[in-house]
This record gives sequence, structure tokens and C-alpha cells, in this order.
Amino acid sequence: MTAEVGRIGLQPASAARTLYRPLLAAAAAAFVLLPWWAPSSYAVNVAILAMTFAVVCTGLNLIFGYAGLLSFAQVGFWGVGAYVSALCAVDLGLSPWLCFVAGGLTAAVIALALGVPALRVSRASFVIVTLSFTLLLGLLARNWVDVTRGPLGIPGLPAPEVSIPGLGTFSGHQPTVFFYIMLVFACIAIGAIRVIVTSPVGRALKALNQNEPLARSQGIHAVRHQLFAFAVSALVTGMAGGLYVFHLSIVDPTIFDVYYVEMMLIIVILGGPGSFWSVIVASGVFTVLPELLRISPDLRLVLFGVVLVGAALVLPGGFGGWLEQRRLRAWRRNLSS
Amino acid sequence: MNETLLFQLLLNGIVIGMTYALIAVGLSLIFGVMEIVNFAHGQLYMVGAAAMLLMVSAFGLGYFPALVGAVLLTAVAGFFLYQGLLRHLKQGEFERGIILTLGIGMVIQNGANLLIGASPRVVDTGFSFIQLRAGGLVIDAHRALAMGLAVIALAGLHGVLRFTRLGKAMRAFAQNREAAFMVGMRPSLIAGQAVVLGIALAGLAGASLAPVFTVHPAMGMPVLFKAFAIVIIGGLGHIPGALAAGLIIGVSESLVGGYGSTVMQDAVAFLAMIAILMARPQGLFGKGVRV
Repeated sequence: MTAEVGRIGLQPASAARTLYRPLLAAAAAAFVLLPWWAPSSYAVNVAILAMTFAVVCTGLNLIFGYAGLLSFAQVGFWGVGAYVSALCAVDLGLSPWLCFVAGGLTAAVIALALGVPALRVSRASFVIVTLSFTLLLGLLARNWVDVTRGPLGIPGLPAPEVSIPGLGTFSGHQPTVFFYIMLVFACIAIGAIRVIVTSPVGRALKALNQNEPLARSQGIHAVRHQLFAFAVSALVTGMAGGLYVFHLSIVDPTIFDVYYVEMMLIIVILGGPGSFWSVIVASGVFTVLPELLRISPDLRLVLFGVVLVGAALVLPGGFGGWLEQRRLRAWRRNLSS
Repeated sequence: MNETLLFQLLLNGIVIGMTYALIAVGLSLIFGVMEIVNFAHGQLYMVGAAAMLLMVSAFGLGYFPALVGAVLLTAVAGFFLYQGLLRHLKQGEFERGIILTLGIGMVIQNGANLLIGASPRVVDTGFSFIQLRAGGLVIDAHRALAMGLAVIALAGLHGVLRFTRLGKAMRAFAQNREAAFMVGMRPSLIAGQAVVLGIALAGLAGASLAPVFTVHPAMGMPVLFKAFAIVIIGGLGHIPGALAAGLIIGVSESLVGGYGSTVMQDAVAFLAMIAILMARPQGLFGKGVRV
């Protein structure tokens, strides 16, 4: 009986369904080859930004969409990764490759230290503590001049280099080279999170999100799972932050800007918390769309706010949630007919 | 140690702490009744300050008429926010409330950026250069007024919550929603009034501090940061706790800023919040953990 149900649910509906896989493969191939057909390096830079957001927002999706904890600390982790990477490279002279890993690890350790007090009381206190954390780091980046160099930031960061035997060494300062560095990193980071959400740990997180007392009665350790998800999201976010500032070649306190908080939330909420691929598609849409429409930065933030208000009122599950509901409705219709 | 400096720092801390308390109490009131954390609270504080600027610079009003106008304007904004948006939140939609209020805050802050620009502006009322002196201590008139107004507003709020039907209804909602429903209270009415009251308090804080500091669109975020720490320290939804925690944070920031560094001054509120969460998660004055 259940097999029957599954078969009906998966039945291809139209020609578009059968073309789905080849089209997806073609789109992926076109994206991988983007630097070779893109009209300008500007387009490549937008693609790099989109991939960065895809990683960071998948991290937020892990902690918010799957574990059900709305974290505002992601921008803090992103900035920690950025600053630690930059300082390792400039003050210690380490290779950028080591630096961005160090940035991610620092963010993960901070996530563990922050998660323990933040998870102690309620979801409300988690939200408040994580937002306070990000705001505090913004203040520290501005005022702790001895370490962070203050509002002017740290310019002249090196870029990671790739050496291929026989072909020579390529500097990440070239957009094309950096595009492929970011592509490889994004595939690894997103792939790792995909493995986690489809593993038993991911199912435990979903169970905790849906009904924490019930899940705990089944022997699932709530705080341990939530801390793990928080640390993993911090790790990938910190690494992404480190890589991103090597691309910009400067880090300054605007890395903690509310703009990034808004971007990440809009992408995850409109993509649909808990919808894995929708959030990644939304990362592309919401980085490319404002560039195409050429909206001024100030107006962009106002519109983002309006979009957030609208999403909260009309589409709480995001686009992914809406698709899921449609799929379920069609599935029920098939069952009853 | 210089005693005058110590007393001056204590005095400054009490003045700023009272206004922190005003903001945190409004946040706590809204949380207690509606169970939402109002992320737009800092921006509504900014609206109060911007309204004060408007009243003084554009309409040429004196300190007190301008203050009354600014608070009323913020309260009206709060009324429309509740009627238009917050009213649609259902119970238990915690994340949705945060996303909604965050969006509102973004629209207000960046809208203000577009309208009045990002540069700080000075509000010049008739009292700008008046200072009160007593035994070596100095306090300027605007600070003294801000503290006096905060004391009056908090005493008034205490009276409302303690003695009026509306206040009792608000406390009833904060204590037990289901029971309040069952005895026939109208949640939309009570919640609406709590939101308007909480936002008016933020507006009062903004309007009374506008002449002390300067007015700019991003002024709300750092204040919200302090208010968050204060409500956690005092216990979420616990109003006397917010008042006490406001004073504690105000005074300790002032002392750390005076004797230590500005970096530590920024971190005081956050570190105190973390310490309280580790040692006493229900807050200094909370009786038990509410989930």
C-alpha cells in the first residue's frame, strides 16, 4: 500500500517533468563555464557573491530551517571568520588557505561557547543573545582599534593561490580563478550540510524542531544536537566570510552590517526554511535581481524590509514551503481520485 | 580615588540607566502581553527622537510642547503598526513576529535614511546650555529633564499596571493567557493598548534623549542592544526587573567607561547578560523559567 502511494506521488505530470533533469544539468554546466561566456568580470563577481550567500544561507537554513532556532549570530560568525582570516594573513603571514580554515574554526569554537548560555532558557533568549552577539562584534570591530585597526579596516589582503603542475600558479585576485575557488568551496560546504540534514542527526534536528518534548522522550539529546548544528553553521559561515574578504582584499567593520543580516534572512525565509534547494536558488535570485534592477543601496534596504514584512504576513513557509504544500495537495488529490 | 569623579560617574549612570529602563520596560511589556520580541523597538526610539527634531526645528515648538507632540506621534505610529500588522500574529508564532518586527524596523530605519539622510543632527531647545550644579557635581538640564521624565513615566506606568482595569488585564495576560481568555478578556484590545503604551515609552525615551545626544537613523540599534541585555538580566516580561537591570547596566557602563576603556564599556551589557544566563537563567528577579 505504501509503495503504491509513493509511486503515485512521484508520477511525472507533464513534459516539463521529463525535461527536468537535462535542463538542470545544462543550467549547472552553463554556471560552471560562466567565466568563459560572461560579458564582463562584473558578472563573475556577482556569481561569486551568489555562491557566498548560497553557503552562508545554507548554514542559516541548517540552524533555522532544520533545527528551528532563529540565529542572528550568523553575521557575527561571518565577520569573525573574516577578521580572523585577515589578521592571520597580515599579522602572522600565514597562507590564505590556512587563514580561512582558522577563521572558520574560531567561529565554530565561539558558537559552542555562545550556544551554551543562549540555549539555556527559551527560543526568545536564543534570538536575543545571538543578535546581541552580532551587534557587540560590530561595536568591537569599530572601537577595539589595537586589534581591528578600527573603522578603516585592514586593506591589502592577499588572495589564495592555486598551483597546478605544468600550468603554473594562478592568483585568486583574478575573478575567474576566484570563481573556481569559491565554486569548489561552495560544493564541499553545501554538500557537507546536505549529508548532515539527510543523516540521522538531521532527522533528530527536525524531530526536535517539530516536538521537542516528544523527541527528548525518545532519547534525543536536544542541546547536544542543537549545539552541533550551531557549530557546523558557524564553521561554514566563518570560512565563507574569510574567503569573501580575500576576494574583496579588505576587511572593515561594514562586514557586520545589518545589510548582511537582512540578505541572509530574506533568502532563507523566501526560499523556505527547511527547503534545501529552494534556499540555494533563492541565494542566486536575491543576489542577481537587485543588480539587474539597479536599485540604489538605500532604497534596496527599504524594499528588503517591505519584502520581509510581506513574507511574514503572506508566505510564512517561503517559496519552498508553498511548493511543498502544492505537492502535498496534488498527492492527496491523486490518492482520492 | 577622586570622589567627585566617582559620584559624577554614578550620577551619569543613573541618568542613562533610567532611560535604558524606559526602553526595556516597553519591550518587556510588549513581550509579556503579546509574546513577541519587538525588533523594531530601537527604531521606534529613533522615531521619537526624529519627531522631537521635527517639532523643534520645523515647527519651532518649545521643549515641553515638542516632547508631548513627539510622544503622541510615536504612539500614533505604534497604533497603526499594531492595527495594520502586529494584530495578524497568532499565538505561538514567535519567529514570524520577529521577522515581521525586524522588517518593520528596517523599513523605518532605511526610510529615515532616505528622508533625512544619515548625518547626525542636533536638536537645539531653549535649555541647551543650562547646567545644574550641586556640590561639585554637574548635570546639564536636558539630562536632568530626561531622568525626571523617565521617573514620572515609570511611576505612572506602575500606577496604571497596579490600579487600573487595563493594567490589571495586561498583568493577567502576562501571567496566564488562557485564564485571561476564559474570563472574557479581549486579547486584541489589551494587546493593542500594551503595544501602543510600550512604543510610546520608547518614543518618550527617544524624544527626551534627542537633545542630549544627536539624532540619526542608525541611533536605535545600539540602544536596542542594551535593552535586550536588560530584559534578559531582569527576566523576560518582568517589568520591575527591567527597571532594576536598566539602572545596573547604566551605572556599570558609566563606571567602566570612566575608569576602564570604551571597548569594555561596549561589552559590559553583553557580558552581564551571558553571566546572568549562566548563573540565573530566569533573570535576576524572575521566579521560574517561562517557556
